[in-house]
Amino acid sequence: MRASGVSKQVSSGGQPLTILDHVDLDVAAGESLAIVGSSGSGKTTLLSLLAGLDLPSSGEIALAGTSLNGLDEDARAALRAGRVGFVFQSFQLLAGFTALENVMLPVELAGLGDARARATAALESVGLSARLGHYPQQLSGGEQQRVALARAFCGEPQILFADEPTGNLDTITGGHIIELMFELNRARNTTLVLVTHDATLAARCGRRLTLASGRVQAQ
Amino acid sequence: MNVFAFAWRRLRRGWRSGELLIVMLALIIAVAATGTVHLFSERVRLAIGEQSGDTLGADLVYRARDPLPASLQASIDALGLHGTATTLFSSVVFAGDNSALASVKAVGSGYPLRGAITLAAAPFEDGHAAHGVPAPGEAWADARLWQDLQLQPGAELQLGRLHLKLRGVITDEPGKGAGFDDLAPRLLINADDLAASGLLGVGSRAQYELGVSGARDALARLRAEPLADGVKLTTPQDARPELRNSTRSAGQFLDIAVLAATLLACAAVALSARQYGEKLRDEIALLKCLGARRGFLTRALLLQLLLLGLAAGAAGALLAYGAQELLARALGDLLKLDLPPPPLLPLLEAAGLGLLLLLGFAAPPMLAARNTPPLRVFQRSESGSTATRAITLIAMATAAALLWLATGDVRLAGWVLAGAGGALLALASCAWLLVRLLTPLRRAAGGGGFAWRFGLGNIARRRGATIAQVTALGLALLALLLVSVVREDLLSSWQKKLPPDTPNQFLINVQTEELDALKSFFAAHGYADLQLWPMARGRLIALNGKPVTADSFPDPETQRWINRDFNLSWSTTLNPDNRITQGRWWGEAGRGKPLLSADAYAIERLNLKLGDTMTLDFAGEQQTFTVSSFRTVDWDSFKPNFFLLAPPGAVSDLVPRQYLTSFYLPHEQRALLRQLVTQFPNVTVLDIDALMAQVRGIVDRIVRAVEFIFAFTLAAGLAVLLATIEGTRSERVRETALLRTLGAGTGLIARGLIAEYAVIGALAGGVAAIAAQTLAWVLAANVFHIAYGPRPLLWLIGTASGAVVVCGLGWLSLRSTLRTPPNTVLRQS
Repeated sequence: MRASGVSKQVSSGGQPLTILDHVDLDVAAGESLAIVGSSGSGKTTLLSLLAGLDLPSSGEIALAGTSLNGLDEDARAALRAGRVGFVFQSFQLLAGFTALENVMLPVELAGLGDARARATAALESVGLSARLGHYPQQLSGGEQQRVALARAFCGEPQILFADEPTGNLDTITGGHIIELMFELNRARNTTLVLVTHDATLAARCGRRLTLASGRVQAQ
Repeated sequence: MNVFAFAWRRLRRGWRSGELLIVMLALIIAVAATGTVHLFSERVRLAIGEQSGDTLGADLVYRARDPLPASLQASIDALGLHGTATTLFSSVVFAGDNSALASVKAVGSGYPLRGAITLAAAPFEDGHAAHGVPAPGEAWADARLWQDLQLQPGAELQLGRLHLKLRGVITDEPGKGAGFDDLAPRLLINADDLAASGLLGVGSRAQYELGVSGARDALARLRAEPLADGVKLTTPQDARPELRNSTRSAGQFLDIAVLAATLLACAAVALSARQYGEKLRDEIALLKCLGARRGFLTRALLLQLLLLGLAAGAAGALLAYGAQELLARALGDLLKLDLPPPPLLPLLEAAGLGLLLLLGFAAPPMLAARNTPPLRVFQRSESGSTATRAITLIAMATAAALLWLATGDVRLAGWVLAGAGGALLALASCAWLLVRLLTPLRRAAGGGGFAWRFGLGNIARRRGATIAQVTALGLALLALLLVSVVREDLLSSWQKKLPPDTPNQFLINVQTEELDALKSFFAAHGYADLQLWPMARGRLIALNGKPVTADSFPDPETQRWINRDFNLSWSTTLNPDNRITQGRWWGEAGRGKPLLSADAYAIERLNLKLGDTMTLDFAGEQQTFTVSSFRTVDWDSFKPNFFLLAPPGAVSDLVPRQYLTSFYLPHEQRALLRQLVTQFPNVTVLDIDALMAQVRGIVDRIVRAVEFIFAFTLAAGLAVLLATIEGTRSERVRETALLRTLGAGTGLIARGLIAEYAVIGALAGGVAAIAAQTLAWVLAANVFHIAYGPRPLLWLIGTASGAVVVCGLGWLSLRSTLRTPPNTVLRQS
């Protein structure tokens, strides 16, 4: 994953506002990177650009060896399918889908076979084999985030993006989720890009990138 | 803060974001539907009131089936009043090779005493008030007769033995009704030509009228004089009863369509107002945090509603104004009324109804948002009291009030509300069952691909919303299926019930002395077995020896029936369309015996028992008969049938009689009618083919008007659908963003959306088809009396059209959510 001279400007109240300013970044396969910084420093924007969820105003971004700049929305989605996993602060599970169906989603979208078997195995690996047919509203916050982890790893992605994965959980449950995430990451040798405020969590990553006012302050 | 400025700013924002669009749309539909029908009905009512004197053609009209007594004319003369006689009858008119059944009116000088005949030189030219009546040897015809006979000015017409020169087109005439008697096109001739036509013999079927006008006192004195037997008096107050009745019936039918549209609009308003209220909660919590008081919030919300109501009322009223004009054009010439300009009051009433609807359905859920505690700014789950029970009670009370205002009848309003509730419950139960049946399908849809799994998953997830959508749309589709497919289906089933050789011509007024000649005429043209039925007309004067009059019977229907002459026939054989239910048929053994066989209707009206005696007066000749059998008659067989039958020889030879028959005449042999009428001018030919075509034409136009109003019902149904679809918008945005983040392309998400709405639409169509099929079956069994089985095509049309409509609407409404950028997910986190 590579970002070269990436900037992002938006218009706010008719005035241009720079959120990211000439960010350069290289993340090697299997590496783990924590993006830290205060609120409004541009962490989430950088994550969304690296994942191809948005396009930079200037600069180049390559994901899994492919430049994102020339790709439209659908092409970028196709690039993510099967290669990229996500863990969100608010879990983002589909309410009408069971735990199993939620986990099957990325596998089906990537067109991989055996979605049901893979999803079942993934839920077993996060200790939820007894909760396959449960709907999100029937699960606790920690269980929902475990389903989200199973969904993130189920398609065996090359890269995992995590945005404040413990932000909505208490300290103990959050700790368990972090353990689980790093364990799965190690087992699959996945590249991990993590946005967090939590210094302890950031310290567990191989590298830290600190943003301030949209600029890289330390790497 | 200025509450008006705040309300205005909030309203503009709500409008731009589309949050209030559906509330507005539903209100406009309700106001437009109500306004259209009320405005049109009011114009018809005013027209009837304004034109009743002119419509009648006189201040008073005496009518009878026999020539009016000379004493009446003497009274008119003695009182110094003016009178003019008119004779009306049906006859076939010929022009070259063309022929048509016409309603002939023979008028004397002085006609009409009130109003005027409007005459044009050729069809579709401007008319002018005619001077006098057609000169002897001349005739005026209305545009339809011109068209039917392909006439040219100055054309020669043949009416019985009479040859007439055509001199004008009647564009309007007093006394022309819209009833069945006046279905046939009009031919106006001079009364002096009537005898020369040879059309009216003894006992001929004609209506004799005497119009009277003059001073009010003299008219009052004339009215006070007793009426002779069989004579009816019509005053301007009861002019056009057929129009009053038919507009009342049509009005009730249209009212039901309007009520359905209004109730659906109420549902749409309630749904979208609830969603709007939910969206307001965050804002209200924040405003409370910042110090806004409850009173300020109440005034701001009510002001928003008032502004919204005024805008929707104005737009709905404008729409109603245009729509009622279309309705007036579609039905105006059918009603034969010169409609006055539209009054404004019904429009104001409709706009008022819009405000009532807002207060009852939109205000409670929106005002409930004021209960949101300021704590919500920290804990989003805090929503405060939602006052659901109060909202439901207010909505139900408002629905009842709306129905009461619309029908003016508490009992009827109660029935309609219960009926609507029952229909909704039935549709919702059906929808619930179908959605339940879909659940296992959803699990099995893995093989159908992700789009199907996603689409069906959404249906199962939003089960409540799905059932509401399916029910609302099902109701709208049901209305459309009923007035389009089912109507056609029932009519064609009914037509198919009649075999191809069903009689299409009736001959009446055949005199005894013509009997042999007529039989020979038909035998020469291949109708050797033509059966001619004798008929005598008698009046019931005693039952079981006790004298009876109309007043002897309590119910109005029997009173009306008793006042008419009974048609009695005689035979030794019973036609296959008659069946004896009690007693025995007399056969040959009955000849000369004073027996009677009564039809079920006569039995019911007179409460007859076997062995009862009936004394009938046949123009002065009285005879008593004993009821020896009861019969049921298939009146739809298009063959002559009679309430009362007697054995041959039972009716005295002194009683005047005539004969009638019916037969099937292929279209290519219609020239035979011309020969028949020339040779037997006083025989009246009733061309049922032409009558059926005319009836069908009228039914078609009324149905079109009803379909037009049902368009509002459909629009209201679609508004409910839109409201429920829009209610899922924020959830859809989140889902789309998540799916895109996980790698789904636009096409895949779109296919999921289409799959979901195709299934919802198909379910709604299926529910509508089930309901339409059930209603059609009930109508077939109880009204049409025909066998009506399952119609797979109806199911197919219902399901397919439902899928297409809902897909289209869902796509139009939510296609913008497909463009949701995936980073929305991170922003929401």
